Amino acid sequence: METIELAAAHTDVSLWALFMQAGFIVKLVMIGLLGASVWTWAIVIDKYINYGRARRQFDQFEQVFWSGQSLEELYRSLSERPTGGLAAMFVAAMREWKKSFERGARSPIGLQMRIDRAMDVTLARESEQLEARLSSLATIGSAAPFVGLFGTVVGIMTSFQAIAGSKSTNLAVVAPGIAEALLATAIGLVAAIPAVIAYNKFSGDAGKLTARMEGFADEFSAILSRQIDEKLQPRAAAQ
Amino acid sequence: MNDLLKRSLVASAVLHALLLGWALVKLGAPEDFDMANSESLPVEFVPITDITQIQQGDKEAPVKEKAAPVPTKRPDTVQNAENVGDNDVDLKSAPKPIEKPSKTEAAAAPKQTEKPVPTPDEKSNDVKEVAKEETDVADPTPKPEPKPEEAKPVEKPAEKPPEEAKPEEPKPEEQAMPENVPVPAPKPKVEKPKQPEKKPEETKTAEAKAESKASDKKKAETKQDKAKSQATQKSDFNADEIADLLNKTDSQGGGAKRSSGEKAFGGKKTTGGEKLSQSELDGLRGQITDKWTYTAGLEGAEEVVIEVRFSLDESGNVVGDIEATATGGPPSTQQALLSAAKRAIRKATPFQGLPPEKYDTWKDVIASFTVADLGG
Repeated sequence: METIELAAAHTDVSLWALFMQAGFIVKLVMIGLLGASVWTWAIVIDKYINYGRARRQFDQFEQVFWSGQSLEELYRSLSERPTGGLAAMFVAAMREWKKSFERGARSPIGLQMRIDRAMDVTLARESEQLEARLSSLATIGSAAPFVGLFGTVVGIMTSFQAIAGSKSTNLAVVAPGIAEALLATAIGLVAAIPAVIAYNKFSGDAGKLTARMEGFADEFSAILSRQIDEKLQPRAAAQ
Repeated sequence: MNDLLKRSLVASAVLHALLLGWALVKLGAPEDFDMANSESLPVEFVPITDITQIQQGDKEAPVKEKAAPVPTKRPDTVQNAENVGDNDVDLKSAPKPIEKPSKTEAAAAPKQTEKPVPTPDEKSNDVKEVAKEETDVADPTPKPEPKPEEAKPVEKPAEKPPEEAKPEEPKPEEQAMPENVPVPAPKPKVEKPKQPEKKPEETKTAEAKAESKASDKKKAETKQDKAKSQATQKSDFNADEIADLLNKTDSQGGGAKRSSGEKAFGGKKTTGGEKLSQSELDGLRGQITDKWTYTAGLEGAEEVVIEVRFSLDESGNVVGDIEATATGGPPSTQQALLSAAKRAIRKATPFQGLPPEKYDTWKDVIASFTVADLGG
C-alpha cells in the first residue's frame, strides 16, 4: 500500500518565516504588540530604578531629619536641590514657613493652612510622578491579549479563505496559516503578562511611597504647628 | 526623569532585540514530526461470513482454528491451481490416497472393473421408479432379468461381436440393458428407421444409450467398450463429484494446488455465502420445539441437555435414525426427554424454511436442547 505524502513541500515554519508569511494586518498587530512589549519593559526598568532610588532617598532624608539636626540647617542644605519626595515636601513647607514668618504672620491658623497646602501640592506632584505611566502598563496588560487575539482571528480568517481557494483541507496546507495567526496571540500574551505583573507590583510600591510621604506630611505638619505656637505665642503675649 | 525613561526605553529595546535574535536563531523551526516509523497498515473490511463459512479442509480431521486440507507431498507448485492435491493437472476431484498421480488429463483408458451383480439391481430399480408409469403401459414386462437374455441373442446375429468380447458382455449388458427395457431388440438392428422415433429412449436416462447407439453405427467392439466404460463409471456415480465423470482419467491425484500444514476440519472446498443464518437455525430449532410436548414435573429436568443428530434430505425429511444423547439429570428423566425429542423431530418433519441452495450446511443437523428451550 502506498503511503500518502502528507506534506507536499516542506514549508518553513521558523518564527521569521511565520512573520514574513503573515498578512498586512497581522504584521501590523505583531509590530504594534512588539512595540508595546518594548514600552512595557522600558517602563518596568524606569520604575524599578525610580522606586529604588526614591526609597533610598526617603530613608536617607528620614535619617537626617530625625537626627536632631536643626530644621533651618537642613533647609539650607536641601533648598538648592531637594532630592526625593520627602525632601521636596520638607523644602516646600519650610519655604512657606519662612515666607510667612519673615513677613510677620498674623494668624497661626492661616500659616498652618498654607503650609499644609504647600505640602499637599508637593505630595500630589510627587505621587503623580511616581505613578506616571503605570496606567499605560495597565492598558497594555489588559488590551494586548485582545489585540493579539484580533491578529489571530484575522490570520485564521485569511487562512480559511486561502483553504477555500485551494480546495484542500490537508493539514499541511492549513497548519502554517494557523501557526502564523497564533503567533500574534503569543506576542500579545508575551507583552501583556509582564505588563500586568509589573503594574500590580509598581502600583503597590507607588501606594506605599505615597503613604510614606503622607505620613511624613502629617508628622511635619504637626511639628511645624508646634513651632508656630511656640514662636507666635510669645509675640502675642508681648503684645 | 525623562532622561531615565529614555535610557530605559533604549535598554528595553536592546533587550527585546537580543531576545528576538536569540529566539530566531535558537528556536527557529520546530523539528518536524518523525513520520518514518509510522508504517501505514492496509485495513480491509471483511464481512464476518467470509470467516464463518465453510473453509477448505478435511472432512475427517479434527476441528482446528483454521481449516486446512490434507497436506500434499510434492513441493513444486502449479500456477492457478484451485484444488488441493499432488497432481500435475488441476482436477476437481478430491485426492485419493491409492494410486500415483496421473500425468495427463484425458489420455488414460478407463479401468475395466467387474461389477458385482447386486449393483445393477439397485440401479435398475432406481431408474424404473422414475420411468415406470410412462413405460408400463407400453411395456408390460418390467423385469430386467429376462431382457438381457432376449437382447443377447438378438445382438449376436445382428452385429456379430468377436468372441473375446463375449465373456465380458453379460455384465455391461446387465447394467446397460435394463435401461433399454421398452426397446429390447429392434434398436441395434434397425438403426436408420429408429432414429426418427426416438421416443422410448428419451423417456429413459438415455445419454449412455445415445452414445452407445452412435458407436453402434461403426463397430460392435467399440460399442461394447463404451457401454462397459459407461457402466463402470455409473457404478460409482456420485452427484457431488459429477465433474469426475467428464474426466476420463482416474482422479486419485486430486488437484494440483499444494497444501502444507496439518489437516484440519473443513469442507471439500471453500464456499461463499452458504452458512445458515441465525434466524434460519432458530427456525429449525423452533419447528422442533413447537412439536415437543413437554411433560412437566419430571425430576431434575432442568439439568438435562439433549443433543440430537440427524440427517435431512433436500425436502427436509429425516433420513436414517435420529441419534439423541442426554447428559445431566436422572436417567429416567433423560429417557423420557430423549423419546420426547425423537417424537418431536418426527412430528416436525418435513422441516420448512430451509434454503435449498444451502443444503450442504443443513443436511446434517446437530442441535442441543434444554428444558428452558421448551418453555418448561
